[in-house]
Amino acid sequence: MSKHHLGEFEEVVMLTVAILHGKAYGIAIIDELEGRLDRKVSIGALQTVLRRLEKKGYLSSEFGEATQERGGKRKRYFQVTNFGMQVLQETKEQRINLWNAVPKISFNN
Amino acid sequence: MKEKNSPPKYMLRFFRWFCHPDYLEDIEGDLLERFDHNAKEINYKTAKREFIRDILKLFRPEIIKPVEGTYRLNFYGMFKNYLKISWRNIAKNKVFSLINISGLSLGLTCSILIALWVQNEYQIDNFHENLDQIYKVTSCEYSGKEVNGSYDTPGRLAEELKKVIPDVELACGYSWIGWYTFSVEDKKMKIPGTFAGEDFFKIFSYPFLIGSPEEALKTPESIAISRKMANNFFGSPEQAMGESIKFNNETELKISGVFEDITDKSSEKFQYIISWEFFVAQNKWLEKWGNSGPSTFVKLQAESDADQVSKKIQHFIKNYDEGYSENDRLELGLQPYKDQYLYSNFDNGKIAGGRIEYVKMFEIVAVFILLIACINFMNLSTARSVKRAKEIGVRKVIGAVRISLIGQFIIEALLFTLIAIVLSLVLLFLLLPAFNLLTSKHIVFPTTDTSFWLGIFILTLVTGIISGAYPAFLLSSFKPIAVIKNNVKTGKTSGLFRKGLVVFQFALSMIFIVGMIVISKQVDYIKTKNLGYQKNNLVYLPNTGEMARNFDYFKAEALKIPGIEHITRMSSRPMEIDNTTAAVDWEGKDPAERPTFTQATIGYDFIETMQSTMLYGREFSEGFADSASYIINETALKTIGYKDPIGMPLTFWEVKGTIVGVVKDFHFKSLHDPIKPLVLRLTHKRSRGYALIRIQSDKMQEALENLEILHEKVNPEFPFAHQFADEEYGYLYRSEQVVARLSRYFAFLAIFISCLGLLGLVIFMAEQRVKEIGIRKVLGAKVTQIITLLSKDFMKLIGIAIVIASPIAYYVMKEWLQGFEYHVKIQWWMFVIAASGAVLIALITISYQSIKTALMNPVKSLRSE
Repeated sequence: MSKHHLGEFEEVVMLTVAILHGKAYGIAIIDELEGRLDRKVSIGALQTVLRRLEKKGYLSSEFGEATQERGGKRKRYFQVTNFGMQVLQETKEQRINLWNAVPKISFNN
Repeated sequence: MKEKNSPPKYMLRFFRWFCHPDYLEDIEGDLLERFDHNAKEINYKTAKREFIRDILKLFRPEIIKPVEGTYRLNFYGMFKNYLKISWRNIAKNKVFSLINISGLSLGLTCSILIALWVQNEYQIDNFHENLDQIYKVTSCEYSGKEVNGSYDTPGRLAEELKKVIPDVELACGYSWIGWYTFSVEDKKMKIPGTFAGEDFFKIFSYPFLIGSPEEALKTPESIAISRKMANNFFGSPEQAMGESIKFNNETELKISGVFEDITDKSSEKFQYIISWEFFVAQNKWLEKWGNSGPSTFVKLQAESDADQVSKKIQHFIKNYDEGYSENDRLELGLQPYKDQYLYSNFDNGKIAGGRIEYVKMFEIVAVFILLIACINFMNLSTARSVKRAKEIGVRKVIGAVRISLIGQFIIEALLFTLIAIVLSLVLLFLLLPAFNLLTSKHIVFPTTDTSFWLGIFILTLVTGIISGAYPAFLLSSFKPIAVIKNNVKTGKTSGLFRKGLVVFQFALSMIFIVGMIVISKQVDYIKTKNLGYQKNNLVYLPNTGEMARNFDYFKAEALKIPGIEHITRMSSRPMEIDNTTAAVDWEGKDPAERPTFTQATIGYDFIETMQSTMLYGREFSEGFADSASYIINETALKTIGYKDPIGMPLTFWEVKGTIVGVVKDFHFKSLHDPIKPLVLRLTHKRSRGYALIRIQSDKMQEALENLEILHEKVNPEFPFAHQFADEEYGYLYRSEQVVARLSRYFAFLAIFISCLGLLGLVIFMAEQRVKEIGIRKVLGAKVTQIITLLSKDFMKLIGIAIVIASPIAYYVMKEWLQGFEYHVKIQWWMFVIAASGAVLIALITISYQSIKTALMNPVKSLRSE
């Protein structure tokens, strides 16, 4: 379990890729992240994480069609793999378990 | 249209260069998409900025293409291989690596130390903000045929310059450092400081703690003091401000400012500055334009040209001094203030060197010591080239081009230098405190100084390349076939070159040793020179307050103290009489000649106290009316030219009198200067100056204690501030003493590093000839013969080095001694000592290894093969 540890940013990126479902390429992910979470993300930071997650097998990717835009460069679409989905689930459960363990009293303060 | 909307090309090129090829296409697409979007939605400028920022942020390990892999495999691979081979070589030949690295790191340490010292010297006074506009006024006194350059200027010069010359923005007089007594209630101290004009703190950038530079010296009774002085008297700078402090037990001065303590970065060392008006009021002679003494500093307008101003003020004094004439004039000039610390000697009225000579000398020494260390490296690597020959052959056969082999060997040398420099930095850190002690500096290890590290980087690079270049070219020239057939000829030229380098090393060492001997001899000579008076067991005591007023009483009481033999008084200290005048007349004086005379006033028993000798006549004594009597020295007698001087007339400062005695020449200036004509007069009853006291050496301690008690009784307002004549004398030659000490270390270091190299060569030779020696031994050679065999060649080289070095050393040291009017002669035995020293040390170095080889059992060396 603890082997598949996800960093906070990694988790957010994976979830965003899942949200975009099939349309997740670099700029789209950044736009989504910026829109939903109101945080600034550089291409460098995002690409680093994407490659790392891909290497770990949580994400897979394939090139799309070349278009007139983007100087004729193809987009690389990312997808969460089954294994990635499982890791996400585990992370979520861990969080919920932790939340459940927090005594109610501490909210009254 | 296209130009306007395209992202910066160079950034894109940069990105394509570093990006991992697998990621390149889609990330570039992302970048372009974002750029287009931003350019459309916001503006081109923002888009461009974001684009650049994104690319810079992409420059991170995960995105950058790996250094290995298909790209440029050769280059990086070979580089790694070079380092690996170099490292293995270092590890394999431990002795040679040790010799090389220790020699290099010693040389480097020495050079860095000297560089730090030199840099420190150049930085003195650099902290003043307006340094480029600040000048010190120089003066050149022409009297008759004599020309005399100095910084002495009339007391009112600063004010007039500022008034009359529009280029002069600020100007101030600046007196000499004196030790004066200050007291606040019961606290009493003698502190060094001086007087300066109102503009002083505006011209210079001494930081103020309290008060302002503009206001500090405005009123005549104002004094600005240092933080230390404020702390000593009042506890803190805040408490000191506005308080009054008593000067010389006479005048209350008001503290108008407190400045930060003067650091080593300043060439002026004062703890307080008192206003100029106060100084002039105390010294009326300053009002006269014919007299000069204090220095003058000016700050020119930003756009003024110093040369032009210099011309304008050249004859400035003409309009003020009535006595100004073609035969007796004082011409002014300007010296940039930043130069005055290093260039302060005058020769024939012009500025000529000074401390800079020592700075230059050490710069040269640093370079040469480093060179000696580099030569070690060159010699050892070329001598051992045979051992590397196979490696080179194989590399060439496989396809290495010459340039890459050169690269390899230079990288190897750089690796050596790198290790050496790390060691030397550690060494530097450890040695710096001792070095500071030796040179009386406060140099700190400049950890945060980027220029220092840049310097270290360049030094490493240069040292590495110098020591690596020759071996690299030599080794890379080997012919592969010859090498692999084990047929290496190291060639006559390289052998000759190596010999030349050894000669060069030892010649340099020899010069350093001779230099060391001459310098220490000269310093010894200075220390023991008969000055014409006996400086040991002579004590000065400032003649102040009640003591000056009742000197006769003080003298009578002091003579009752056991151990005190004689006592007299003098207007200044006998080793630094500065006061000169040309107002001396005698019968038969050539009106065109206006020689300057040094003058001082003395009390009774002067000759006995000083233990100097009268040549003719008598000294001043109480039985005579001596108010218009003069004693002159031998040199003055020569200048005046009387055959029989006693009783002859002499007019001094318009007082007609007679010569009553001639004293044998004694040195009243440093030995750099010749003895000048001197006129001594009888001191005024109440005048100040110094009491000179001759004390028996065995009773020195108790006599001083009793003297202090007497002083406290007679003169309670002043501290008992006695000085020993011999210590003060030593202070005159402090820079020579530092040079003498340093030269000893450098000479030692030079010969040590040279011998390290020699040791390496001998070890190698012995190794190469081990079989030959074995056979010789089997055939009946004696140990001594084998030792001779191994040492003979090296001894020849050292002999040549000595022959070459001797005349050079002679010439260089003669030049140095020219700086002293009185100096030792360079003698043949100095060269003999230096030469035999060099030979002996070299012999010891060589013989250790050659004896070891000679004693080896031939069976061992001949067993195999």
